[in-house]
Amino acid sequence: MALPPGGTLAAAQRHSPGANMIPMVSFTGMLAIDARDVVKTFRSGWPRRRETPALQGVSLAVPRGAIFGLLGPNGAGKTTFLSILATLLVPDGGSVRVLGHDVVREAGALRRRLNMASGRPSFLWSLRVGEILAFYGRLYGLAGAPLRRRVDELIELCELGPHRRVLYSELSTGLKQRVALAKSLVNDPELLFLDEPTLGLDPDISVRMRRHIAELRRDRAMTIVLTTHYMREAEELCDEVAFIKAGRILARGTSGELKRRIRLGEVIALRLDPPTAAWLAEAPGVLRCVAADGWVECTVDEAEKRLPELLRALHVEGVVVRNVQVREPDLEDVFVELAR
Amino acid sequence: MNWRAELLGVEAVLVRNALMASRNVFFFFELLFWPIVGVLSIGLMTRFLRLSPEQASFVLVGTIALSVVNVCQLEVAYAVLLDVWSKSMKHQFLAPIGIRHLTLGSWVVGMVRGTAIFALLALLGWWAFGFDVLRPGWLALGAFLLGCFLNAWVVGVAVCALITLFGNRAEAFAWASVNLVLVLAGIYYPVSVLPEPVATVARAIPLTYFLDAYRASFGFASEFAAPVATGLALSALYAALAHWAFLAAVGRARRTGLLLKMSE
Repeated sequence: MALPPGGTLAAAQRHSPGANMIPMVSFTGMLAIDARDVVKTFRSGWPRRRETPALQGVSLAVPRGAIFGLLGPNGAGKTTFLSILATLLVPDGGSVRVLGHDVVREAGALRRRLNMASGRPSFLWSLRVGEILAFYGRLYGLAGAPLRRRVDELIELCELGPHRRVLYSELSTGLKQRVALAKSLVNDPELLFLDEPTLGLDPDISVRMRRHIAELRRDRAMTIVLTTHYMREAEELCDEVAFIKAGRILARGTSGELKRRIRLGEVIALRLDPPTAAWLAEAPGVLRCVAADGWVECTVDEAEKRLPELLRALHVEGVVVRNVQVREPDLEDVFVELAR
Repeated sequence: MNWRAELLGVEAVLVRNALMASRNVFFFFELLFWPIVGVLSIGLMTRFLRLSPEQASFVLVGTIALSVVNVCQLEVAYAVLLDVWSKSMKHQFLAPIGIRHLTLGSWVVGMVRGTAIFALLALLGWWAFGFDVLRPGWLALGAFLLGCFLNAWVVGVAVCALITLFGNRAEAFAWASVNLVLVLAGIYYPVSVLPEPVATVARAIPLTYFLDAYRASFGFASEFAAPVATGLALSALYAALAHWAFLAAVGRARRTGLLLKMSE
């Protein structure tokens, strides 16, 4: 039972800070991920043990069929959380059900139904692209003609045809990432984890990779959970995002919801002559002002009301306005605000 | 149990290891260079020392056993080592397979390589030193090779457990551990020449019994009653222990995060 993409995501928001509590039972079957109070601490060093708390009570529900983004600064706990969901890491506390399976007790059954790709992929250096896919295909129970067909499909889907017989060690970064994506689809998973899927890729390749990811959900109703540093990617792909920092989810929701919730206001960008006007930061309704690349960017509570006021004030001060742009804050602004 | 899925898991690892073995130069050195150097140098030493044909056979059996066990054991260790080196460890533990698939698939390739080495060294020993591996008969030879492969499996799985437990730092065990086992098992000498505490340890090693049984056919009195049966029983015990240790190590690596550290 899959939810329509971008549809009743509110059903999953019961774990969100401030969200209304919705009865549990009726939504359990719709959830791809149901994690509650997940705790993980890494311990290292001997004889003096050092403890690094990675997750401190993370709760998250992701509906089936959604593309969900996990955002956060380095070391926030994104990959740790993803690894727990993918059964690669055992949590210290809390409960995690993925596709209805407990990730610890029913890991074996769950592994058949999910897969994972990373933005820093690494496979056996002396295997050719086709051989890598065939190896993982066999691990997932494919053999003979169905295996060959699957490998052919994936090579076509990820545009790896000309590289099929190339050794992995000889591939470029972009091609390696496409191999990783192809490998992650070898078992036609219901749930796909993508850890920084476009990390280090050229812009044109990133665009293609994002297109592939969007197609996977559209064509196969796949649930996708991805971590990313690229706000544009999250904004473009994800139905919802959650911000993790220091092992805690600080906020979750759609891009629009988060912008509203954090009250970032709107941005009025001005190109001025002379190029700066320090007093703008003190003007009524201006939340903050930043000068960069010849532009002065004023974040205001309400652009429609404040723009005429600012233009009037600038005219009075004898400052020439050469260009004006008004834009909504993007997810990056939300990220910066939350990561502060 | 789904036998088809079981066999496919083993086949996947088998094909992977075989492909890797065919494309890397260090596999060539393991398969040809070191074993040939070993048999030639030890064989020539037996001539220099003017050992009798029986004594020379005794030593050459040990030399050949060293190569066969070493190569087969390394192949089993490659079940984990290849993924540690390529930093792709997490992918095989993300797949719905168990450690039995990893170790069995690697072991099959190890046995093929071990048999190839044995045949090569047997030919070399016969051509250069008149050493006849078939003198004890096919059955004794089969039991000896089986003993070598079982020991290789035990040591290889134990190495996999150590690497999964301690990470790359434990890599050295892959090359060192088998030599320690062979020294204790009486590779070039009967166990009776070892000091008593060490001889007690040697009697706990299955290969000791397989070497003893095979050498008995070259005219050396067996030191043990029913050596093949004892060797098989000990091998079964250690195989179970090694498998459990590897399983526990993987479980621990999933708790500590080492599985991820050994990945991309």
